[in-house]
Amino acid sequence: MENKSKKLKAKDFITVGIFAAILFAVEFAFGMLGYIHPYIVASYVIILPLASGIPMMLFYTKVEKFGMITILSILLAIIMFIGGMGYLGAPLIIGAGVIADLIAKSGQYKSFKKIVISFGIFNLWICANYFPILVTAESYRQDLIDGGFSAEYANNLFAAINVKTIGILVVLCFVFGCIGAVIGKAVVKKHFEKAGIV
Amino acid sequence: MRLDPRTKLYMVFVVSLIVMMSATTPFLWAIRLSITLIPIILMILEKKYSSALKFLLAYASALVLTFYFLSEQSEGLIASLLIGYCGIVVQFMPAIITAWYVVRTTKIGEFMSCMQKMHVPDGIAVSLAVVMRFFPTIKEEYSSINDAMRMRGVMLGGGNVLRMFEFRMIPLLFSCVNIGEELSAAAITRGLGGENKRSSLIELKLGLADYLLMAFLTASTVIFVVYKYLL
Repeated sequence: MENKSKKLKAKDFITVGIFAAILFAVEFAFGMLGYIHPYIVASYVIILPLASGIPMMLFYTKVEKFGMITILSILLAIIMFIGGMGYLGAPLIIGAGVIADLIAKSGQYKSFKKIVISFGIFNLWICANYFPILVTAESYRQDLIDGGFSAEYANNLFAAINVKTIGILVVLCFVFGCIGAVIGKAVVKKHFEKAGIV
Repeated sequence: MRLDPRTKLYMVFVVSLIVMMSATTPFLWAIRLSITLIPIILMILEKKYSSALKFLLAYASALVLTFYFLSEQSEGLIASLLIGYCGIVVQFMPAIITAWYVVRTTKIGEFMSCMQKMHVPDGIAVSLAVVMRFFPTIKEEYSSINDAMRMRGVMLGGGNVLRMFEFRMIPLLFSCVNIGEELSAAAITRGLGGENKRSSLIELKLGLADYLLMAFLTASTVIFVVYKYLL
């Protein structure tokens, strides 16, 4: 662990891969709920940061070099694309990842304050998935209805997520990201530091 | 039949693209269906009968429900749950089927050698390979955790949602972290992350089937886009 070289090693890549898989598993489990009601889709900004806080805080304890958070966001973008979320959000996801990485770097990946802010920013990748809904609103609505969703579902979805509410969603996402980070840190401390894993 | 991993990746890409643009006319639906059938047929060719059948049934039933029993006007709780279920299956199932097929039939060695041939940076290639390998592991670990909890008589964490989540998440993270350590040790022993260019046992070559499939996928995408946006 005392290796201070700035270059990422195979071990780091493997760590990133593992946490990307865990993060996606969490996202997927909660993502399924969104099909019950569109309001749940909007509330991802609250649910996901809280749920992913624990694995992400564990991830942050393993990050020591620049690039790991960036690669994580690239992987998320690829997985989201494969999962049919489209390419429109991908640049935003990666952008959020790079900024989060830079913020955490400015605290040498040790400063907890910086980590909290960094995780808040990182969570904006959730909002990036709303991006297609905003940009292609009209055709997206038609697509949903043609694709088998009811008009009721589509209307509710657009009532919850539109150009007016996106600002609130982004802020909520960031705030709950910070809360998720604090909770996650507490849980990591409770379970992992006692066990000597980190 | 062995397909080249590059063909498989191309298939994932094409199917994701088509899944994203939803079908609006019967003709477009036909393209979507044929694209969905390809991975299912490939699964049958790889002798994965039960999963092929499962995917086929799930997809077919969702389609039938969507088109014969549900409409834009459907309301009420059961209908909305069904719509949710059918919506996700009809919309995303093709991508899930394809991804499942690729993950299950591509060996990690093949995948790495393919990534190297496509000049993908090592970092992304290694991480992606780990992600691919890790999904089945997470599922396995998760079911062992559930088993262990059942053995101890812990059901659903006593109805407390937070504890329910904590009881599953923490052991899962523990085992994932440990498996990760072992994985990196194994990978480094095999020379991953060394300075030299790695060689690969598996020689990748595009065969006739690869070219045919790629041509078919490209053609369907082009036709889909032209019919949806230009006509």
